[in-house]
Amino acid sequence: MARESSEVPGRVEIPCPSAPDRAGQPGRVCPVYVGTCGYSYTEWVDSGFYPEGTKSKAMLGLYGRSFSVVELNYTWYQMARAEPLARMLEGAPAHLRFAAKLTRTMTHERDNNWREQLALYRQGIAPLRERLVAVLIQLPPDFDRSLANRSYLAALLDGLHDLPVAVEFRHHSWAADPVFAELERRRVTLVAVDAPALPGFAGLFPALDVVTNPALFYGRFHGRNREGWRSGNMQKKFNYNYSGDELRAWCEGHLLAMARQAGMGVLLFNNHVRAQAAQNGLRLVEILGEFSQGGG
Amino acid sequence: MGQSFRMQERSVLHFNVADFAVAVEQVADVSLRGRPLLIALQAGRAVVYDMSEEAYRDGVRKGMALREATRICRGAAVLAPRLGLYQKAMAAFFKELQGYSPLIECGRADGHFFVDVTGTHRLHGLAPDIGWRVRRETRASLGINPIWTLGTSKLIAKVASRLVKPVGEYIVMPGEEEDFLAPLPVTVLPGLTGRELEKMRDFRLTTVGALAGLSRHQLMVPFGSRSDYLHDLSRGIDDSQVSRPGAAGDSIDFEEIFADDTNDRRQVERVLGVMAGQAGTRLRDRKQVARRVGVWLRYSDGAQVVRQASCRSGTAGDFLLRKLALDALQRAWRRRTRIRSCRLVCDRLQRQSPQLLLFPEPGRDPGHTKVLTALDTVRHRFGQGVIGIGMRAGL
Repeated sequence: MARESSEVPGRVEIPCPSAPDRAGQPGRVCPVYVGTCGYSYTEWVDSGFYPEGTKSKAMLGLYGRSFSVVELNYTWYQMARAEPLARMLEGAPAHLRFAAKLTRTMTHERDNNWREQLALYRQGIAPLRERLVAVLIQLPPDFDRSLANRSYLAALLDGLHDLPVAVEFRHHSWAADPVFAELERRRVTLVAVDAPALPGFAGLFPALDVVTNPALFYGRFHGRNREGWRSGNMQKKFNYNYSGDELRAWCEGHLLAMARQAGMGVLLFNNHVRAQAAQNGLRLVEILGEFSQGGG
Repeated sequence: MGQSFRMQERSVLHFNVADFAVAVEQVADVSLRGRPLLIALQAGRAVVYDMSEEAYRDGVRKGMALREATRICRGAAVLAPRLGLYQKAMAAFFKELQGYSPLIECGRADGHFFVDVTGTHRLHGLAPDIGWRVRRETRASLGINPIWTLGTSKLIAKVASRLVKPVGEYIVMPGEEEDFLAPLPVTVLPGLTGRELEKMRDFRLTTVGALAGLSRHQLMVPFGSRSDYLHDLSRGIDDSQVSRPGAAGDSIDFEEIFADDTNDRRQVERVLGVMAGQAGTRLRDRKQVARRVGVWLRYSDGAQVVRQASCRSGTAGDFLLRKLALDALQRAWRRRTRIRSCRLVCDRLQRQSPQLLLFPEPGRDPGHTKVLTALDTVRHRFGQGVIGIGMRAGL
């Protein structure tokens, strides 16, 4: 029996018919939260997602009318700070949940003081509390599965053990069963990525739908702009508009399999250029609605 | 009817290379990294021009007597300031920034840059990403590691950079300005005089939030004509523009640090004459005139005196620039203390008018134009220092 949680914008309950139906209990559903990576884009006013003249401070409230989750990406650029975050939460819609990117000083620009940075980060995101869906550790493309990097990642995950964590690899060497097994043991989510298929770049982490955490699956849509991906320019890299057919195909190929294995899911669009992330997110919610009605 | 004008939220980045002179010297000689370093002339009563973080932690401050600095920070290397090198580094940093915005404002050789990236998102992406990229690029190409901060005004970006020294970044979200400033001590606000800070202490106005709690009328009582400025400052209101090069707020300046401190007025006049010639050439190259000439004298004891002289119609001529500089020097020549450095600043710049003057103006000899053209030709071909105006020639 399909159910749609129409009271929460951007949240759809996906029925999982193949889930074990013990002792005649009703079939399980997997709530899927849809949103975007970041919400404060001046460009989204120009593109019409936000009304003309919208100030940055009003954006989160408006965003919450369409979506149920948002990934905070500014925490990658600067260390999270509790006071501004607490003030942001005061103005945020009550239903909205948050993922927070781990600061670059612990991923892309790691230094010897990363343990102090981690302590600061934990203090900084503390106001999110139960509204935190996951801390996103996005690792750089050159972070391969070397012994040193494995040790570092293990130490980092130890330092975040009491928080929900999702890991996005960019290097192919991490696509290995022992990695998945270890993530599963730690109940850490492996991020499922949708990115351009670039045959010339065999080093990229593949698009997988492996669920390593029964509590959460986490999908990120980066767009499929082949030309822009290696340009070094975000405006080119994330300039992509998913078609309805592409999103439907992704849901058919990956979503149901992941929803059956996880308690909940988040799907986030990173193709922010010209508000395509927001438009694609809204379209995905419609498509998920069809799935929830049994139309998928 | 036309559409109503709408102000867009501004995105102002501030880049600040902490201890700029030291940072540049450490790039030039990597063996200086991680060691206490003082930048100062090794003259009799020299003061510290800049110092490394290690020296700062030992208690050394800018303007401190070198003798005292070397006493409290034993083993520190001491290097003479190389302003030319610092200005070259500034120019290289400026070039990195030019790829992101035409609106860049910078100091002389202090490692400070404001960049207004409002409206550039379609070309260059998010403002924080620009800050991060510039830092990464300058680290790779210049070897220096700037602080970067982002705010909706120069004021907010500047205050934020004071919070993260010597390294780091700070993003103040639009709409957060007043909340960001409120808990901070008033000492982080730029542009406050010592007397104003003293009064704030007397009134127990220790935080910016406490200052913001007072109305304009209340501020008027202790601070008089500065009440409006302080009112806006405490609330994070700052409409000042990032002045692009060549704009009205721009200036041309030169500085000479004397090898030995001096109180020989003729020596200072000679130096000013040379700098006026350099300023004239640059102004004529830029097809600009300066309406004000300032002389900044920094003394051995760290004190500074600034005086200006102006002319209504502006000038780019060496003769009048030198006359204005000497007028300003006359006004500045008040102390008997020896002078450490002398700076000439030509500002209130505007474009040269193509219209010829109807009547001759005092100090403007039509024959001078031919002399100046010849001077420029010689200077461009053989270098700035090869020719100047003799001091004995009448003005």
